[in-house]
Amino acid sequence: MHHVLVIGAGTMGTVHAKSYAAMENVKLVGIVDIRSERGKELAAETKTEWFESYEEAMEKLAQVDIIDVCLPTYLHKTYVKRAADAGKHVICEKPLARDKEEARFIVDYCREQNVKLFVGHVLRFFPEYEKSRQLVNDGAIGNVGVARTFRGGIFPTAWNDWYADYKNSGSLVLDMIIHDFDFLRWCFGDVERVYAKGLLGRGFARMDYALVTLRFKNGMIAHVEGSWAHEGFAMKMELAGKEGIIAYDSSKEKPLVAVNRSKQAGMSGVAVPESPLRENPYFRELKHFIECIDRDLEPLVTAEDAVKAVEIARAALVSIETGKPVTLV
Amino acid sequence: MKLGIISVAHMHAYSYANAVAKLDGVQLVGVADEDEVRGKAAAETFGVPFFSDYHELLATDIDAVIVTSENAKHQEHTLASAKAGKHILCEKPLATTAEAAQEMIDFCREQGVILQTAFPVRFHPAVVRAKQLVEQGKVGRIMAIRGTNRGQNPGGWFVDPEKSGGGAVIDHTVHVVDLMRWFMDSEVREVYAEVDSKFSDTPIDDCGILTMEFENGVFATLDCSWSRNKAFPTWGDVTMEIIGTEGTISLDAFSQKLDVYSNEKGLKWVNWGDDMDSQLVKDFVTSVREKKAPSITGEDGLRAVEVALAAYQSAEQKQPVVLR
Repeated sequence: MHHVLVIGAGTMGTVHAKSYAAMENVKLVGIVDIRSERGKELAAETKTEWFESYEEAMEKLAQVDIIDVCLPTYLHKTYVKRAADAGKHVICEKPLARDKEEARFIVDYCREQNVKLFVGHVLRFFPEYEKSRQLVNDGAIGNVGVARTFRGGIFPTAWNDWYADYKNSGSLVLDMIIHDFDFLRWCFGDVERVYAKGLLGRGFARMDYALVTLRFKNGMIAHVEGSWAHEGFAMKMELAGKEGIIAYDSSKEKPLVAVNRSKQAGMSGVAVPESPLRENPYFRELKHFIECIDRDLEPLVTAEDAVKAVEIARAALVSIETGKPVTLV
Repeated sequence: MKLGIISVAHMHAYSYANAVAKLDGVQLVGVADEDEVRGKAAAETFGVPFFSDYHELLATDIDAVIVTSENAKHQEHTLASAKAGKHILCEKPLATTAEAAQEMIDFCREQGVILQTAFPVRFHPAVVRAKQLVEQGKVGRIMAIRGTNRGQNPGGWFVDPEKSGGGAVIDHTVHVVDLMRWFMDSEVREVYAEVDSKFSDTPIDDCGILTMEFENGVFATLDCSWSRNKAFPTWGDVTMEIIGTEGTISLDAFSQKLDVYSNEKGLKWVNWGDDMDSQLVKDFVTSVREKKAPSITGEDGLRAVEVALAAYQSAEQKQPVVLR
């Protein structure tokens, strides 16, 4: 039985806690959050205990094997370090850190403390993305020449509005389309050159949008689009190969749509689409990490992959700031 | 009014000729082409005389010509037509170099003839409506635009740089750049591009992602790749997403379609929307008739070509290229 402590009861902390609560070989021993109301609520929902601080949890809990860090990005280093100091394995939300140096430090530190570090690049556990990669590897569409991805929705609201502070969140380039950077790297290898444009520094508050062009070492060109200026979340991907095309658009794949008939005449009801799976991608991801701990396996996404993803995102941000392409070494 | 067609190298000659046939008071009187087989076939289809030498066509009493020759010949054909005093509707891209385009513009002005660049997408009802919505402020201030104009590799002279001036980048940059300029009344200041040859067996640029910075502070990207394969339901696409402070506009010019599943061809899209080409020709004919300035000028054609050429330069230098 693995005893897991989740730090942070925000969006991802909630998803992770619920996943652990549903696992047979995991005991969710606690939720840490400085917001008592939110922390208690999630603890009750997942039948565990709430702690106001990491220190309190570690002091009171008899056994903790794994610490899952679901905190704002700028707090990752501090808490991963504490967990490693305590000799606990760490599962950390993406992005691992705000820049490559910080990410490097975290990875090296965990290695030195001899604890395992897993980073939640969950896109690798989305079946539609996994299947696309498999098809590419099987040669279903030949060599891919151009890849396009989209990820976006409304500007995120969270504790302390930390997403709005560029220094803390690194904007959507670091926080969100890092998913696509990692996925593309997983499929097509390392990136050589990055060029990007974004709203950063253009004076639009609580709005973000970026268009990133990646040139891969294998010659492929990718166009990565990220938005916190759209209504409703969607993710899209198109891989154009010499022999075919793979296309996916989450806004078009709706196996289930429930609509509440409006009580008011002339008003339309709200449609809630769902794409249910027996095990959702977050559950699959965390189950995989637990299995890697159990059987001492190399994970599908390594801590080194997470560093590389941060490096690409950071290069895009530098390109946005300087207006120049950035070559990765 | 009498019209002639100089060269049917570009397949649009056919849809333009069909458009002419539908217009009252306008008559297509001849097709000239240096390729006799190709030209005669077209002339026969249109039911008009064939001229093996375009000078002979220009010597007739036609009022205007449609130039649908290979890109690299637009200059020669336009200059000769202007010299003969004929108004010109020239296929895009206007020319393969900025100098050639400028000479065409200057000479047509000197000769007092209309030079219109064929950007039919401006006449697509959804495009017209999108521009209206932008002008009404529906999306607030535009912050960014993401565009695509992808297609299948057209083959033939399109993949011979001597005749085409380049591949996908020169072929598919100009339409959407024109729309962006038109929507915003702003020029492209800087261009960055990644360009390569990834889909064709012939060594020609067939994919590219352009990133542009406009003078009004808007940034945009455009995918001009010939990345649509044979199995794709249609030959290509024209899409734009406009990101504004108050909302977004998604435009997909080929979305008025039927899904047709045939055993022979698999899934194909059959378009039921309005024909853009006939509106373009009608607009040109109206300008000629009423002796007014064309709605799409030679300068519009040149500005779009400049962006495509800057994209090639940027890809070569791996640096952004500043246009103005």
